[in-house]
Amino acid sequence: MSIDSNYAHPDALVTTSWMADHLKDADIRIIESNEDVLLYDMGHLPGAVHIDWQRDLQDHTIRDYIQPEAFAALCSRNGITPETTCIFYGDKSNWWSCYALWVFRLFGHEKVKIMDGGRDKWIEEGRPLTREVPHYEESAYPVPEKRRDAEIRAFYDDALAQSRAHLPLIDVRSPGEFKGLVTHMPEYPQEGVLRGGHIPGAHGVPWKQAVNADATFKSAEELRKIYETDLGLKPDDQIIAYCRIGERSSHTWFVLSYLLGFDHVRNYDGSWTEWGNRVGAPIEKSL
Amino acid sequence: MSYPAKLSAIIELFSGLPDPEKRETLIAYADQAKSQEPREGESFDLEDVRKDEECTDTVAIFLRLDEQGGSHFRISLGPQVQTLTRAMSSILCKGLEGVSPAEILEIPADFVPKIVGAELVRLRSQTVYYLLTRIKSVSKVWLQRQRTATLDNG
Repeated sequence: MSIDSNYAHPDALVTTSWMADHLKDADIRIIESNEDVLLYDMGHLPGAVHIDWQRDLQDHTIRDYIQPEAFAALCSRNGITPETTCIFYGDKSNWWSCYALWVFRLFGHEKVKIMDGGRDKWIEEGRPLTREVPHYEESAYPVPEKRRDAEIRAFYDDALAQSRAHLPLIDVRSPGEFKGLVTHMPEYPQEGVLRGGHIPGAHGVPWKQAVNADATFKSAEELRKIYETDLGLKPDDQIIAYCRIGERSSHTWFVLSYLLGFDHVRNYDGSWTEWGNRVGAPIEKSL
Repeated sequence: MSYPAKLSAIIELFSGLPDPEKRETLIAYADQAKSQEPREGESFDLEDVRKDEECTDTVAIFLRLDEQGGSHFRISLGPQVQTLTRAMSSILCKGLEGVSPAEILEIPADFVPKIVGAELVRLRSQTVYYLLTRIKSVSKVWLQRQRTATLDNG
């Protein structure tokens, strides 16, 4: 199966078969990012490195992402330079690979792609996995000047202003979470949220609508129907997407930014675990 | 309360391991999860097969009591269950072998981070605690049934 050429940026995706033919390319780095913390160790694509969303990308002492110095060190450890094309893949229909890609974009790394279908499709097709951890010669990744939070990341105040201005807010959680019927996503434990509901004015468009059963992204035509025809979004709209902790909304951010070519999409990574708990934050329920 | 001897030995094994070896050992236990499933011809005193709303997949717990009143667990996990949880199923089946249901109810859950390591116990991997909860739940039901049967016979 090939990549739909009608996507705004079809080169943001590679197929599993393309990946299989390019495992040893010198100018790429294959990066696995998962929810299951031991999955990489159980076996990964030959040559793939592991970037963990908590250990490598976040600073838990301040609930934030790492600083530019730490990002440069992470890339250098993995032999990545600004010219390296980073191809992300992982479990859960590529939630965490989209999240890692989004964080790489926060630091301005331009050359990023997703392996369509992720880890599950690779395995389903009987392609090889290895437990051998690759070692790449350390590079000298320059420290980015700054993190580009203002461009692709939204904070609580941004989401509140968006809500008050009646600008597009997309809640990508499950319908039950959006309505306020449950405070956890189906099949997941409670993650410490006091209130159920959504940000006033948000539209509920679960991330899952954007993927096929084999975890690949839906066609450009199908995605346009969901986000443009049905939801009424326009490519130059200022859009904020959110979920519970920012991983499912990274997936939607990738769809809107790379597959549909929307220019002003931000991911509110504080998401419902911040909004649902925050004193004074208004919520809506739709029971 | 101290841990049962076999579980204690496993905790001790993990406590002395550096993180990379801890991960390798967890994977080795996860690889053995299949061998902890019920085998053909085995019968059980209690079976609890269900998928709770907050779980990614079905978790089935099977309990057999030996003549000395010791527990023997088998656990069957659906394919979506995370690697850590599969590792914990092997650890618990082995670590609780021969322990009485009453003793199982007293086991504190604080051994989990000692085995798994603080780095791996995180928001999305809390289900490692879930297996112990389910095992305790089965043990409690079995004890209640025993008490009821004793009262009925008395």
